[in-house]
Amino acid sequence: MTRASSHPAALAALALAAALGAGPWPASAADPLPRGEPTWLGPTAPPRPTRVVSLAPSLTDTVVALGMADRLVGVTRYDTAPEVTSLPRVGGFLDPSPEAVLGLRPDLVLWLADGGAFPAVRRIAELGVPVLALPVVGVPDVLRAARRVGAALGNPAAGERLAAEMEGAVRAAEERASSLPRRRVLLVIGRDPLVVAGPGSYPDALLRIAGGVNVVKGERPWPVYSLERAVADDPDLVVDAAVNEPADTIVRLAAIPAVKAGRVARLPDDRVLRPGPQLPAALEQLQQALKAVR
Amino acid sequence: MTRRRVLLALGAGLLALLASVAAALLLGPQPVSLQAALAGVEPDHAILLGLRLPRVILGALVGAALAAAGVALQALLRNPLAEPFVLGVSGGAALGGTAALAAAAAAGPASLVGAVVGSGASVALGASIGAAASTALVFALGRIGGKLVPEAALLVGVVFNAFAAGVITVVKVLVPPEEAARLLYWLMGAVGYADPGTLVTGAVFVAVAVAVLVAASAQLNLLSLGDDEASSLGVDVGRSRGIVFLAASLATGAAVALAGLVGFVGLIVPHLLRRVFGPDHRILLPASVLFGAAFLVLADAAARMAFLPLGSEPPVGALTALLGGPLFLWLLRRTERSG
Repeated sequence: MTRASSHPAALAALALAAALGAGPWPASAADPLPRGEPTWLGPTAPPRPTRVVSLAPSLTDTVVALGMADRLVGVTRYDTAPEVTSLPRVGGFLDPSPEAVLGLRPDLVLWLADGGAFPAVRRIAELGVPVLALPVVGVPDVLRAARRVGAALGNPAAGERLAAEMEGAVRAAEERASSLPRRRVLLVIGRDPLVVAGPGSYPDALLRIAGGVNVVKGERPWPVYSLERAVADDPDLVVDAAVNEPADTIVRLAAIPAVKAGRVARLPDDRVLRPGPQLPAALEQLQQALKAVR
Repeated sequence: MTRRRVLLALGAGLLALLASVAAALLLGPQPVSLQAALAGVEPDHAILLGLRLPRVILGALVGAALAAAGVALQALLRNPLAEPFVLGVSGGAALGGTAALAAAAAAGPASLVGAVVGSGASVALGASIGAAASTALVFALGRIGGKLVPEAALLVGVVFNAFAAGVITVVKVLVPPEEAARLLYWLMGAVGYADPGTLVTGAVFVAVAVAVLVAASAQLNLLSLGDDEASSLGVDVGRSRGIVFLAASLATGAAVALAGLVGFVGLIVPHLLRRVFGPDHRILLPASVLFGAAFLVLADAAARMAFLPLGSEPPVGALTALLGGPLFLWLLRRTERSG
């Protein structure tokens, strides 16, 4: 959605805002976040960047999956891939330190577009570092990110291969799904408070492909859900994706009939929450979970 | 005599500000060389002039505004515990700014209304209106039997803060998630990375507010004696109080619009200065402007340095609360004993 640049009213508004001397404030809504298509911030990147900073673990995964881990010079403190354990950390996904990023003299920064980090990342771009902003929400975004990151790193063929591989996994999962019964699922992301994956979230998209039906309706991708509502939804299966919380604390949700009856599938890791090349493995995990429950 | 002491205080303040600016420019998780930066060598040049300098300016603006507002509110309330954050004035400003941002998000950031309402000046204006409204509320409800009771006013402020936090939480649920993330980041009280346009707009707001407060500093001396005493000395109490009240609201509104909720600066700085320079507002107010700026610049540099051990930068508001919370309690105990 890069309508802003073509919309005359938006242009007029921007001009007016500029005339008021009102640049974007730290929390200003006047400059919308990049959404939809990946966009470049700052100058153009060299054709084959060699000093790459990744500001999200899923983008690090993408670079690693493209076989170009050696181009990375900095990652977030949440990165756990064995290929990057020795690399300097530049802060978190929500709080990157521009100073630490600039200190690594990167020629490309990969950013999973997000509101919290926007002021810091915009400043990095303004100071002359090419930033590729990748809004990744759904499965098509993951495929697009693989292609765009491959192209940005100077190897579009590798990006295309990775995307095709994931596309193949999606199709295979869809085929397998057609032979599975359609289970009604509640995807638990956090327990206290109860946070679930709602429509529009990445796990919801994966669940759809895997052949499950999300019991959560509404417009919020990550709603704080009412336990009462979860009980009334009466899912066939609860998928426990709260991997950072102890497995046995799921008993707190025992009011949900599926939990009480032991129809809970605990995921082994956070793959369904990492929109990246872990996509095929995440789909497999979900289908295992759907199959495990009669 | 006073003139000499004012000049002395201003000189000391200026020195403190210069020293803290120099320290903040040279301190950070990334070692940089001043020589290399001035010669245009990257990344030193970009880090020093592109990252640290605008942050230092932003920190100085916010610190000056909050410290000046603190002195003004303390004079109006005749209590050293008064402070924009504690009194709920910052909370009101946050609410006003949030309302402007939510309205912009509702109108759509790409629409004309959205762009105008979401512009920096509107957010600052919304924050100032929110600050003024909450100050009015605190001063109106802090009266018992027609007399302003500082403790009651402080309590009203604390309760209003909790109320504002509740409303902001609800607004956060209503706006789109990515806007909520930005809102949260803003309210955390971090001195972040503002562009030159923002710094200029912020500087204008703060300069106007601070100039009015400095000009009114002699009247603050009289107002702090009490309403009856002040009016018997020829002060138009209602008018003077109104002007100070609006200027303090404007200063707080601008500070909150620029950096979110940074607490206790208006408590810590005036308290220390009162111990050195005494209670005369003609000295205290301008000195607070300079020392407030110096204090927040230094505190923000410390927050930036915390990246090294923590791997993340805490917002400077966390640091000021760490210092200010205990100081507030200590002051509370002391006023209790002396009263």
